[in-house]
Amino acid sequence: MGESWALVWGLRGAVVLVVLGVWEWAGRVPVNFAFPTATATARAFAELLGSGALPRAFGISAQAFLLGYGAAVLVGVPFGLLMGLIRPLGRIARVYLDLLITMPMAALVPLVILTMGVRITSSALIVFIFSMPFLATNAYGGVRDVQARLYEMARAFDARWLQILRMVVFPSALPMVLAGMRYGLSRAFIGLVIAELLLAPFGVGRIIVDARSVFAFDRMFAAVLSVILAALLLLSGLQQVEARLLHWRR
Amino acid sequence: MVGPLTNVQRSATHPLGIAIRGVSKAFGRVRALDDITLSVEAGQFVAIIGPSGCGKTTLLKIVAGLLRPDAGRVEIGGVPVTGPGPDRAMVFQDFALLPWASVLRNVTFGLEVRGAPRPVRHAVAQRVIAKVGLAGFEHHYPHQLSGGMQQRVGLARALAVNPQILLMDEPFASVDEQTRRLLQDDLLTLWADERKTVLLVTHSMDEAIYLADQVFVLSPRPGRLFRIIEVDLPRPRSSQTTRASAAFGRLVEDLWGILKEMQ
Repeated sequence: MGESWALVWGLRGAVVLVVLGVWEWAGRVPVNFAFPTATATARAFAELLGSGALPRAFGISAQAFLLGYGAAVLVGVPFGLLMGLIRPLGRIARVYLDLLITMPMAALVPLVILTMGVRITSSALIVFIFSMPFLATNAYGGVRDVQARLYEMARAFDARWLQILRMVVFPSALPMVLAGMRYGLSRAFIGLVIAELLLAPFGVGRIIVDARSVFAFDRMFAAVLSVILAALLLLSGLQQVEARLLHWRR
Repeated sequence: MVGPLTNVQRSATHPLGIAIRGVSKAFGRVRALDDITLSVEAGQFVAIIGPSGCGKTTLLKIVAGLLRPDAGRVEIGGVPVTGPGPDRAMVFQDFALLPWASVLRNVTFGLEVRGAPRPVRHAVAQRVIAKVGLAGFEHHYPHQLSGGMQQRVGLARALAVNPQILLMDEPFASVDEQTRRLLQDDLLTLWADERKTVLLVTHSMDEAIYLADQVFVLSPRPGRLFRIIEVDLPRPRSSQTTRASAAFGRLVEDLWGILKEMQ
């Protein structure tokens, strides 16, 4: 196992190096006057960190993100579980969740801002709308996928309804719930960036917008990259949690 | 390790008999069982055999209290069955283990449902796990075990709640022949010490004759009780002595004759 682990990380590192190399080259040519080199971007990144602008912006974005995503988990997961447990509810709500998933969500953003105004809760609401349907849909699927024979087994041992939920349904649905949380997390990031770029000039989105307006493309790129890095970090954190909770799969 | 067991474990002091009286069951327009009447004496090992679709598993589920008959009733120790109960435990064809739970947690499932405290659950589980030959595998997960070992877990889970009646739904149908024979012998040994009433559904003629005191033969759809075979082979039985005997061969042939006659 150790060997393949080293290989995977080695290859991942190599990909990063190649991308950075090509990027640096493209910036030096340059392919476009607006395209900064990797080194210039790194310098801008360091400046944004050093001046405290980026940490401050992240502090603001994080509020909107945690509020929106946290609410999406707290609402979406239990709602999806209920949809799975109560058939008619599942049948009715599914259609609307599917609609929310297939709809181009960005179209909703102006509507939210118009009704809620420009504030952090608007961004949070957009994050919520982006991620909640995935959380609910996956939790619903997790409950629907519980094997009939496990229900039968639990009933044969005279388990009560709540015991069946606790001992069979929830653990069985857990892998799909966690996968939904992971997917919902990436959707939440998309929602956050769209909200901050399009309308609500807060946080990291603000840095991006401001940098672009003064043609400071290296700073803009640095801010974009910081968002990507943050998303990756959170995602891998969630993966760690997942691996720990689902250790029985290995 | 046996120590003071709780009442959840002590419930089975003596085996109970089963009386099936005029049981019929249909699923929509398909008649699965038609007026089945039979009785199983306390402590007996009984097999139900019949062609697929004869409703033998349906009958077992009715005895388990998982299905309600359309007509007739089942009595256990003289008390009518209204649902699942602590006097019965079931072993499933496809094992029905919780994939996320260790062997230990799977085995203690029934005890947890009954609210036995953790130390008791663990003491009981250790004992039954050892009994089915899985000592040392307590912390393995089902997918790390072979089919035969998984069914040992299923058997241990049923034994853990110490039922008077063991209901077995084609328990060895999904394992290979060698494993099946080992499991059959182990089941006979267990049954000899635990003295439970066993109702085993099988489609294997060899298995029915080898294990049971009595074999109930059901006819194809709708399932009716077609014949009862008394298996008077001496116990304890073992592969070497029993299967090799002429009496065993004759009984299997008789059973084959009956099954062929029904076609």
